[in-house]
Amino acid sequence: MAIKFERVSFQYRGIDEKGYLALADINLSIAAKGEFITLIGETGSGKSTLAQHMNALLTPTEGRVHVFGVKLTSDKKKNRRQRLNPIRQRVGLVFQFPEYQLFEETVLKDIIFGPKNFGVGQDEAVERAKKMIKVVGLDESYLERSPFNLSGGEKKRVSIAGILAMEPEILILDEPTSGLDPMGRNALLEVFHNIHEQLGKTVVIITHDMNTVYEYAKRVLVLREGALVYDGDPSGLFSRKHVEDWNLELPEILRIQRALEERFGIKLDKSPRSRKELIEALGEVVG
Amino acid sequence: MNRIVIGRYIPGNSFLYRMDPRTKLIAMILLMVSVFLIQSFIHMLVALLLVALLLVFGGISVKRVYLGLRPLVFLLIFTFLFQVLFNRQGDLLYSLELHYTVLNLSIAMALVIMWGFTKRFLRFRLLYFLATVAGVFLLFHYLPFGIVLGEGTFSVYEQGLSTAFFIMVRLVIIITLSTILTITTKPTDLNLGLESILRPLRILRINAEEIAMIIAISLRYIPTLLDEANKIMLAQASRGVDFQEGKLKDKVIQVVSLLVPMFIISFQRSDDLANAMETRSFVPGQKRTRLHILHWSGLDTTALAFTCAALIGVILLRVVGW
Repeated sequence: MAIKFERVSFQYRGIDEKGYLALADINLSIAAKGEFITLIGETGSGKSTLAQHMNALLTPTEGRVHVFGVKLTSDKKKNRRQRLNPIRQRVGLVFQFPEYQLFEETVLKDIIFGPKNFGVGQDEAVERAKKMIKVVGLDESYLERSPFNLSGGEKKRVSIAGILAMEPEILILDEPTSGLDPMGRNALLEVFHNIHEQLGKTVVIITHDMNTVYEYAKRVLVLREGALVYDGDPSGLFSRKHVEDWNLELPEILRIQRALEERFGIKLDKSPRSRKELIEALGEVVG
Repeated sequence: MNRIVIGRYIPGNSFLYRMDPRTKLIAMILLMVSVFLIQSFIHMLVALLLVALLLVFGGISVKRVYLGLRPLVFLLIFTFLFQVLFNRQGDLLYSLELHYTVLNLSIAMALVIMWGFTKRFLRFRLLYFLATVAGVFLLFHYLPFGIVLGEGTFSVYEQGLSTAFFIMVRLVIIITLSTILTITTKPTDLNLGLESILRPLRILRINAEEIAMIIAISLRYIPTLLDEANKIMLAQASRGVDFQEGKLKDKVIQVVSLLVPMFIISFQRSDDLANAMETRSFVPGQKRTRLHILHWSGLDTTALAFTCAALIGVILLRVVGW
């Protein structure tokens, strides 16, 4: 297992020594290859905190986190003695707001900043930048532009390209599609899907969008008030009981499927995950 | 990031909380002036006792104030030592002969190096530091063997000791008083009080309201910007910025990678704030009504009377020359 959480709790230090418990007793393991995970939960449920443990930006206040063989505990001194930087290359984390990381004069310089920090040569880094800017759906002309004159969606893509250029083994994205239009969102999700399918990399996406969860995820983690309440496949999650207990919304496709059953009595043979699959399944039934 | 105690309001309900912020501001200034006018040892101790009583009756935990003082402990001890060592006025109280020899100089050096290496593993660093300093001095006195390179004396004079005492107690009292003010007064109230006190400056064409607003917004945004800085650090750390290692050249780039987003985010924030204020019809310089109006009560008159009495008393004592 590439990432393993053992009874991990994390407490944010508060004003009066009273901490705020952001993670409570989390047990979890994530493989280095072949996983497509979505992490969901209400605002403030600890999703981002959990993600930041995965590349050692935060270390637990209780329990142990193992990331690619490096053991992180509540002992800060011991943690500091280990080299954490290599972990951050192997587990790439894209933050929610690109404003927090863009700082160079040009998009190119910003994208190669990450790889160069990890010792990649200038030429190699530029090659990667040229490749990754296309991967996130922008063209090479963007490389010479200033990252501050881009739209919100473009900034987001550039920040993702900046992490992809580090060639991490595990890619974690904190709400990568927030603030994007539906077309851009779908295109970007396809990008992550391709990274997962073609390169076999593990992708973890934090999202509020149940459609993303249902369509792409092989595994879904649900956090509620810092506790991991569900770890399994998406179709199990959207059973009636869980949806009601955890204030979750049903994915559109599932709602359509259920409406078809209830109103028109149309029973689909298999449960479609995407619009395309739904149309195909309907076609088979209707003939 | 949440460790900053100076300037933090802590809810409570003692008489200090019921006082008008204007009273507290004026009283604090008057008391500070008084403390600077005190010249006698006993009067200083009385002042310290009075401040302690204020803490007790004001229901403020001493621990809080200590937390406020802690960042300054080093400064306090440094000024104390500086005065004691270098002020050579008044009567000689104590002296210690020092002999600098090859042997004890090298041992002293070894001691200092050992301190440098081991300090990070110990909890009471300051005590350890002081113990090391004392150890070095004792070494020079009690190990006068070997080739003598020089002679010196470590001497404590009366004036030095008393100046050191006065500086320390004054600093402690001033910091305690200002901590009391910020602990018991909400930033908004403090601001209202400040604005009200500065209002006479209108004659000089200085707009007190704007100054108060600037101060209020700056104070309000310190925690927000600290929070943002923390997020930026995390975001850059996940792109391989290692704030602990790296060469000087790398360090410069690392700092730039923090500063640029910081600037941009601060400008964005101020832009947002300006818009938010404008949508609520805030126009600078325009007359405004207030939600909270300051009330002057009997308590305030009493408190002010007491502080005035303290100030006048101190001035009289100084004039009479006790």
